Amino acid sequence: MARLIKTEAVVEGRTEVRWTLVEEDSTPEWPADQPPGVVGEPTTRLTAGARLSGSARYTSDMQLPRQLEATVLRSPHANARLTSISLDAARAVPGVRAVIGPGDCPPFDGETVLHSEPPYGGAAVAAIAAETREAADEAMAALDPQWEPLGFVVDLDQSLENQTFQDDPVEYERGDAEAALAAAELTVTSDYLAPAQLHNSMEPHCAVADWRPDGLTLWSSTQGIYQARSQLCGSFGLDQEHVRVICHFMGGGFGSKFGCGPEGVIAAELSRRASRPVRLVLSRRDENLSTGYRTPARFSFTIGAGRDGRLRAVEASAVMGLGTGGWAYPVLEPVKSLYACEHQHLMTLPMRLNLGPAAAFRAPGVMEGTWAFEQALDELAEAAGLDPLELRRRNHTDVDPSTGRPYTSKRLLESYDLAAELAGWDTRDELRSDGRVRRGMGCASQYWWGGGGPPAYADVRIGSDAKPVLTVGMQDLGTGVTTACAVVLAERLGIPPDQVKVRTGDTDLAGHGPFSGGSMTLASVAPAVRSAGHHVRTQLLELAADMFEIAASDLELTEGEVRSTDGTLRRPIHDVTEKLGNAWVTGSGSRAPNPDGMAVNTFGCQIAQVAVDTLTGLITVERVVAVHDIGRVINPMGARSQVLGGILQGIGFALSEERVVDPTTGTVVNAGLEDYKIPTLADLPEVECRFVGEPDPELALGIKGLGEPPIIPTPGAIGNAVAHALGLRLREAPYTPRRVLEALQ
Amino acid sequence: MQVELEVNGNRYRVDAPAAEPLSAVLRDRLQLTGTKVACGEGTCGSCTVLVDDRPVLSCLTLAAACDGAAVRTIEAEGDLLDRLRRAFTEEDGFQCGFCTPGQLMSALALLERTPHPSADEIVTAMSGNLCRCGAYEGIALAVARAAEDVRA
Repeated sequence: MARLIKTEAVVEGRTEVRWTLVEEDSTPEWPADQPPGVVGEPTTRLTAGARLSGSARYTSDMQLPRQLEATVLRSPHANARLTSISLDAARAVPGVRAVIGPGDCPPFDGETVLHSEPPYGGAAVAAIAAETREAADEAMAALDPQWEPLGFVVDLDQSLENQTFQDDPVEYERGDAEAALAAAELTVTSDYLAPAQLHNSMEPHCAVADWRPDGLTLWSSTQGIYQARSQLCGSFGLDQEHVRVICHFMGGGFGSKFGCGPEGVIAAELSRRASRPVRLVLSRRDENLSTGYRTPARFSFTIGAGRDGRLRAVEASAVMGLGTGGWAYPVLEPVKSLYACEHQHLMTLPMRLNLGPAAAFRAPGVMEGTWAFEQALDELAEAAGLDPLELRRRNHTDVDPSTGRPYTSKRLLESYDLAAELAGWDTRDELRSDGRVRRGMGCASQYWWGGGGPPAYADVRIGSDAKPVLTVGMQDLGTGVTTACAVVLAERLGIPPDQVKVRTGDTDLAGHGPFSGGSMTLASVAPAVRSAGHHVRTQLLELAADMFEIAASDLELTEGEVRSTDGTLRRPIHDVTEKLGNAWVTGSGSRAPNPDGMAVNTFGCQIAQVAVDTLTGLITVERVVAVHDIGRVINPMGARSQVLGGILQGIGFALSEERVVDPTTGTVVNAGLEDYKIPTLADLPEVECRFVGEPDPELALGIKGLGEPPIIPTPGAIGNAVAHALGLRLREAPYTPRRVLEALQ
Repeated sequence: MQVELEVNGNRYRVDAPAAEPLSAVLRDRLQLTGTKVACGEGTCGSCTVLVDDRPVLSCLTLAAACDGAAVRTIEAEGDLLDRLRRAFTEEDGFQCGFCTPGQLMSALALLERTPHPSADEIVTAMSGNLCRCGAYEGIALAVARAAEDVRA
């Protein structure tokens, strides 16, 4: 029987209280000491066939009959007023089917989509749908927009002076930081400047809208199909039942693709007006001007500690450049939550600038905050004459320091030990030299959420061919969650994971699920999948019991067979399911809440080894040891790939990635991939990746998330390694050759 | 203008504007959407296809310049390509898969030219294909593995 319960979930640092529908669940728990078959075995991706043959259809590949191509006019100015625009001239171009300008498009999530006063370079002003791209381009040229440039602010200090906030400043206090700092035996003060990191998912933001009298269908490259549906309902005043959002294959998101995006609303409005399907795919440059970025932030820390290195107090501020959107991402969370420290006073100032809206980017706030704070801690270690890892061990906390709540599990100390052993930490000073190439090693801790939670639902059906179909209301960004879900189901049904067909990414299918963010997806949906699978298993065993006249309790499903526990019966599962004909056995499952009153967090430690060429200023990350505590690992192959991906994006942040804004024009000068440098194969370090810890005893299936954790400690570990190598610290990322050489002079 | 192309062994005659890139002809006119366009300006490698056995960036290559040429895309068949597909699967050489068609075509071009590449040759040949998910380790291992399979 289903019931409504109230539950708390922490999503990227924000606590949400939700009412959620859960069903009673009799699925037995996984004993920690009993390896459950396929779970924990390396499993190749279910999507391999489609993705490696070119048959996988992404949103940008959609080609509906009579589909139009859309294009968007964007402001070239950092701030401007549109004084005139020739929409009718564009409409007169042959092949043009719809043209919309300011005032013609409904808002997206309450925000203006087409601006009459575009507040940043790249802000959308008008949109065109035409039979061909050439016609759309010709119409674009006919728009002849006239601008009155306005004053702009792209500088953090200027914004601070003007006190223009994009979101409310966040102040956090515990204890008496001022008094504790005054009394501290050691005090370290330092500043760090983090760059704006651009997501650059390989598939740009895109949408294909098909507006029909009976409803709207939107193919969207989105991290949240249900969120996209709600936004479209809100924009157009439609009922849920008249909006369908589809995302079968997706080319990455990394936090920039929540909901349908303005592109979804523009495509839908053009489709509504033209009565034709419309495809809108952003160019790489428009992508990098308008779809979000990790917020640049300036950090200031004053840390007070005892001579023993134990933290007494931290005063910290973070000034974030949010542009024209986004929220106060938890940049000081690592200060607040990573270590025991009684007295704190933290200020986060989210400033508004004439730049595109910020967006969550893989561990938003926490990654850049960790990068800065973990280096400040190394400065404290140096002042205290302590080994950096020893300093971290001394400040370990067994309870969440901001709430006093116990953790469901925490294996951070174990992570330090294992990482140190694998990296050769104790002999790291032997790496150092005075030669042209200088090596060093640095560490950083990792803290994140990722416990998942309700609502998440799954449906399973199995027919005569004994190949189950699993329906989950989620979308696979490319993380491998589809395969992991198949593994979880395969365990219950005693079949190989590759026999499972997983259907995701369609709001018209059953099984509402979470958006893909906060490292929550697998931890949220896997328990629902297992529960649904268990219902199907129970029914199959009852069918088998009737057929073979053996009690269901004496039967099991394993390796594709129905077996009796005494070993006398071994028959293919197919022998049972073939009796179903065209009928199905079905089961559904839902995600129960996490325990009340406990903190659910992932932890870990990474150690990076770098080589710095003092002649060229070039830094090479030679090796990264990554040890993470994520509870039960469902698919070690997919998990390792997640870790590698996080490390590479972390290397990009530390060494090469930085959106550059021309202060004289206020516009972005490196929106293309030739001068915004993301890591390539040549930048791949040797990676040693381990997972510590048992399945989390308090969480459903013992799973904690992994999407975000691996990127979090990488830049901080690199920063500390560079400081170890050079004996001086770079305070601004990325550590480009220019900055390295300037620091060495 | 009229362009004749042989794509994956099939002959086509298409009527395309003179400035239309090969990627648009493949994707929009021939419905071969396996070839992906991620930057549209020749900086990411996602749109890599083989034209007369040479890897080219199809977003920067005019279709008209390929008149009479033999084009191979991710939808092609072939033993070596199948070996690469298996190796990319087994080494987990992709995540979201959007850059993967380009990765496979660059790898195919490399192995056809250099059946037993060194690790450095793999890095050089594959560094122009960006992967934001960071599947590079699997990609490098997959190319080496497919080359090993050729040897065996």
